[in-house]
Amino acid sequence: MALALRRGTATRVKPRPVSVPLAPLQRVVLGDEVSRVLFSEYLAHQMSDRGGEETGWVLLGLRRVDEAIVLATIPAGAGRVADQGHVKFDSAVQAFASRVVRQRHKQLTMLGVVHTHPGSLRHPSSGDYRGDIRWVANQKGQEGVFGIGTADANPELNPGISWKPSANVQCLGELCLSWYVLGKGDRTYRPLPVELSIGPDLGSCLRPVWKEIELHATRLDQLARVVGHVTFEIVPGQQQPALTMTVPIGEDDREIRVEMEGKAVRYRLLTPDGPLAADLHEDRVDVGVFLMLSELAAR
Amino acid sequence: MDFRPMTETERKTLVSALRGNAQDGLAVLMDRQTTSFLGTAEEVPDEEVINAIRSVPSHY
Repeated sequence: MALALRRGTATRVKPRPVSVPLAPLQRVVLGDEVSRVLFSEYLAHQMSDRGGEETGWVLLGLRRVDEAIVLATIPAGAGRVADQGHVKFDSAVQAFASRVVRQRHKQLTMLGVVHTHPGSLRHPSSGDYRGDIRWVANQKGQEGVFGIGTADANPELNPGISWKPSANVQCLGELCLSWYVLGKGDRTYRPLPVELSIGPDLGSCLRPVWKEIELHATRLDQLARVVGHVTFEIVPGQQQPALTMTVPIGEDDREIRVEMEGKAVRYRLLTPDGPLAADLHEDRVDVGVFLMLSELAAR
Repeated sequence: MDFRPMTETERKTLVSALRGNAQDGLAVLMDRQTTSFLGTAEEVPDEEVINAIRSVPSHY
């Protein structure tokens, strides 16, 4: 392996750097769908029966030399603990959601967090700082991106279109997102210019099956850690989109497939001759999968 | 087919890439025309992202 091989003449190998040195962040770039999702879900949250509480999202994306490119949002989850003065995300659900999003996008890394303030404070609070300053020390580049959502803009200025009253602030309607960066050892957050680029929110595919994700996240995440090569998909179900998990058995090209649609959990054995429905009624997905594996092993 | 020794930098990069492949399942990229080593995809291990998510503090 310590030789560069080539037919014909020898050539110089040009290896890519395994890790690129990171400079302090100069900007955050949002995929346009990311921006739309943040504003639309913030608006939906405000109109919900929990609208008086704080909420938020985790941001995944690419960390370039001096910019963060946000390509996926993961919501705080219905199991978040929140009131008018704080929000603690449902990290178990978000962790599993990140596993699903990153199946085909292993370059996505954790970039930061957006959370909302009920008043007009467009800046992270001192309480935010106490937690964030410890957290950023363990992040890529030892920096984190922080967005603050407020509902204090004057919507009559630019009805229907977004605008930027300053380099680090986006507004749409009465909603604003103000962007900051905090690095290890910083005494305060720095305003972080925000830019838009055409791009997806790779987390948006989760929204149609978000209830199923929340219902089964803990057990699915454990399964994914214990059993190798598990894959998740969002597919059309019998009445609504369904979340599926496929577990390779490792012989005869057979796989166990679990379909989660609403509260229903269906188990199938996928064979080269077609799918077989399993007569198994088990809402606990991990238990169901292990029951099928033991049944198949005994045959 | 010609052979030449790798430079020290290339050797270190390859060893690092192979270690990442063995320990974390990271991809090792190969030139499709020459089959030579190209480097690694800038992939992030699942556990790194999950640990970051699980450690997000409360916000106020």
